[in-house]
Amino acid sequence: MKSKVNKSAYGYLFISPFFIGYAVIGLVPILYTFYLSLTKWDGFTDPVYVGLSNYQRLLHDSFFFQTIGNTLIIWIFSIVPQLILALLLALILNEKFIRGKHFFRAVFYFPNLISAVTLGVLFSLIFDWQTGAVNKMLMNIGLLHDPINWLKDPWWSRAIAAAVTCWQYFGFNLIVFIAGMQSIPAEVFEAAEVDGATKRQMVFKITLPLLRQVFMFTFITSVIGGLQLFDGPLMLGDGPGNTARTMIMYLYETAFKAFDYSYGAATAYGIFIIIMVFTAITARASRLKE
Amino acid sequence: MNAKKWLSIVLTASMIMILLAACGKGNSNNDSSASPAASPSGSASPSASASAAPADLKGHLVIWTYFDQVKQMADKFTEAHPGVKIDVQIFPGDQYETKLMTALQSGRNVPDIIDLDRGYIGKFLESKFLADLSAMGGEDLVKSYLPYVQAYGRSPDGKLKAISDNSSPGGFWYVRESAKKWLGTDDPDKISSMVDSWDKVIELGKKVAKDSGGKVHLIQSASALNDIMSYNTASWVKDGKLNIDPKWKDTYETELKIRANNVDAKLPFMSAGWGSALNDGSVILTSMPSWAVFMVDNKDGKAKGKFGVAKTPQGFFLGGRYEGIYEKSPNKELAYEVMKFIASPEWQKYNLEKTGNMPGNATVFDQNQDTFKSDLFGDQLILKTYADQMKAMPALQANKYDEGILSKWGKVAGDGLEKGASYDQVVAAFKKEVKNTYPELQVE
Amino acid sequence: MRANPVTGTISYLFLIAVAVVCLLPFYSMIITATHSNTDIAQKLLLIPGDQLSQNYHRLIGSVNIWRGLLNTAFVTVVSTILNVYTATMVGYGFSKFNFRFKETLFLAVLATMMIPGQLGIIGFYKLMDTLHMLDTYWPLILGSLSNAFGVFMIRQFADSSVPTEIIESGRIDGYGELQLFHRLILPLLVPVMATYAIFAFIGKWNDFLTPMIVLFDNNKQTLPVMIASVKSQFTSDFGAQYVGIVISVVPIVVFFSLMSKRIISGVSAGAVKG
Repeated sequence: MKSKVNKSAYGYLFISPFFIGYAVIGLVPILYTFYLSLTKWDGFTDPVYVGLSNYQRLLHDSFFFQTIGNTLIIWIFSIVPQLILALLLALILNEKFIRGKHFFRAVFYFPNLISAVTLGVLFSLIFDWQTGAVNKMLMNIGLLHDPINWLKDPWWSRAIAAAVTCWQYFGFNLIVFIAGMQSIPAEVFEAAEVDGATKRQMVFKITLPLLRQVFMFTFITSVIGGLQLFDGPLMLGDGPGNTARTMIMYLYETAFKAFDYSYGAATAYGIFIIIMVFTAITARASRLKE
Repeated sequence: MNAKKWLSIVLTASMIMILLAACGKGNSNNDSSASPAASPSGSASPSASASAAPADLKGHLVIWTYFDQVKQMADKFTEAHPGVKIDVQIFPGDQYETKLMTALQSGRNVPDIIDLDRGYIGKFLESKFLADLSAMGGEDLVKSYLPYVQAYGRSPDGKLKAISDNSSPGGFWYVRESAKKWLGTDDPDKISSMVDSWDKVIELGKKVAKDSGGKVHLIQSASALNDIMSYNTASWVKDGKLNIDPKWKDTYETELKIRANNVDAKLPFMSAGWGSALNDGSVILTSMPSWAVFMVDNKDGKAKGKFGVAKTPQGFFLGGRYEGIYEKSPNKELAYEVMKFIASPEWQKYNLEKTGNMPGNATVFDQNQDTFKSDLFGDQLILKTYADQMKAMPALQANKYDEGILSKWGKVAGDGLEKGASYDQVVAAFKKEVKNTYPELQVE
Repeated sequence: MRANPVTGTISYLFLIAVAVVCLLPFYSMIITATHSNTDIAQKLLLIPGDQLSQNYHRLIGSVNIWRGLLNTAFVTVVSTILNVYTATMVGYGFSKFNFRFKETLFLAVLATMMIPGQLGIIGFYKLMDTLHMLDTYWPLILGSLSNAFGVFMIRQFADSSVPTEIIESGRIDGYGELQLFHRLILPLLVPVMATYAIFAFIGKWNDFLTPMIVLFDNNKQTLPVMIASVKSQFTSDFGAQYVGIVISVVPIVVFFSLMSKRIISGVSAGAVKG
């Protein structure tokens, strides 16, 4: 322990690449965005300083508040099944008797390789209410009499956005979990087996507790990433009465469709604060479990 | 290894980075100054006189665009003017405007000619970035244009800032067989007169629905009325106030009636269902712009002569791409030659025949309407069908709000139609959206 | 160890069911590349068509797709190496050293992930303009120096899988800190580095916005931008785009399978055979 303290100054050296890199490349855009949020700027004339008025507008923007709710709903609908599925599959793939692990792992990751264009075309075809495969299938097996206009229904459109997101990202969490399980030394399991532990006991007493750090990572990054949901839902549209519009979609529409860059910038910082709050809650909650 | 040594490694590494970056900067500087500005031969300035012989033109131009067919135009131009080199740079996606804007702001790496879409051109027309084509003689180029096509390239003070070589007219497309079966004729003129008002559309649609037992619909979607009315209504903004043309009330109420009487197939714009109904004729009349040919299944030429196009109750068009010259371009005169070229009947006729893009210059309509035929439409003289309505379209000017507000109207009215909401409810929701997005506008 | 046949069968059925849901769209994506635009816009395609060569010729007729592949490969490989290396270094630094403001600095790292980046592109453009890096690959590569996601991931894994004793013994053996990191720590972190390399590689490979904004010369452009630029006046040429997408997916799949093998550490790889 003593030497660890002595060598502590090296810590700064090891972490320096991040901060140097960020100072050179990352900081200026963020600060510039903040500056824009204090101005009125349409992208053409020079920005005019307006103080905090964009933030005041944001505080009274019911459309923005609606997007917070939408984002949380879509996120929860997608993250819960996503993590359960990923964990379950990771546990199965971690079993010795399973063959074709490489194949399955690759295939489960495929949805993450599909570009947004493909995704958009694909889902608009599958959920097209007249010719889409989903309606046709449900009507064939007699579950539906009339086709459902999926994307015109507030809850269906959110559920579909969530399903797309879940499908797109569970493979991502899956390989994080697998990597985590691989980092548990095999001796631990062997010892347990010798002691006559059952499979269930091994999962709950060894694997899951030892994955704590990995779970922490997954929870926090999924909050940060999930609240910035954008690509998938964008392809599916705003939904009826904007019910499927996420926070970042709103930011995007404000800045790049209505050319209100300054208000878009304030929205970005508003979202930043919301994400910070939810990250803090998640971090606290996952520590409590320890 | 001690901390000092370590630090020096990190520092050296970052120094190398910075040096390399500096090298890169040198290169990029050379590149960028070489491309948009005059190339070495650019100094041989293009003759300013309009009657310059093709061989006299020399120089290098850069065009920015968001779609790749501009290359064909550039090739055709350089074929006639071998001394000119045109560099067409394509930047796809929604962020093309962002790229343009950032480049224009910094004033570096800006092209000589800029492509702009109807969807956002309003802002650019009001800015200081586009050259005044009127002052360069541009009024001559557009004097025989369709009024609405040329008007949309003008800034609020009426100066010509951008020119389009296309007009994107719309009409009711129909499968001839299906029209014969359900409407009793496939003659475009007869069909046009059968549906020359929305009341007639509704009556005819009711009949079709009844005759077919609800399986066949007259039109694809009630929401299509929004597209048709878009440029037949007054601007959304008047003296800084939101202005809702009373025609929208009639339009929305007609949409409700269409929906209630099963006249439309409720198909979202250019969705899969929309496409298949267009091809199999289960929707008889599909209102769409001339460029939507790609929705027609023409594998092995099976759609040859399959379609006809009739007039919609009011003329309409959809989409449009304009080109303007960067105000500070050192090659303005040469760029103006390109403007002359795209406005010319020769190019637009070539473009019509090659790609099917309908011309913006009315001369091309006049000269070819008795001869031009297109594969899909058999013997129908489609330019003739479009010509009268397009010539009569109101010459509206662009502003920075209209397109954005229009798409909000489409969204809110579409939602309302789905729920069967009243016009007042739709207007209330619409006003809320507009107020939120454009707080600077007065909304009553 | 023998598996219970019932759990075994259920496990396989489950794996296969999920695999089908994942494969089908992927398969459809490849099949779509062989069809005409009209079909693509209207049907979910599952049977190969005969338009592949037409689509391919339209694609190469309008963009230099192989040049784009090389450009993307260059940018992606350089960035991924830089990204994984620095993230590992920084993650290890945060995991195994104690220094003042450590947690604060770490929170700062996390915070950089929380600011929506969409608008940053404007400031980024201005910065690159000032640094005279526009129309070069620097803006695409330098960003890899600071990736909070990677740092966080490596740190979490290093916390649990790098025993402090190894560091101690390395120091006793007289290794310098950097030497120790390279010789002893990196091998231990291979699984997580491989995992992170997959994410970094794919993210960079598919990056659309940054190259589109900072590069001007179409010949320098990356693959995703080239593919997206195949458009007719009003709509995308999906047929040609899909051929491009398929071309661009191949290297990712290859890289994925290379790295995927490294996620499994030597010990358990041996155990699989047993």
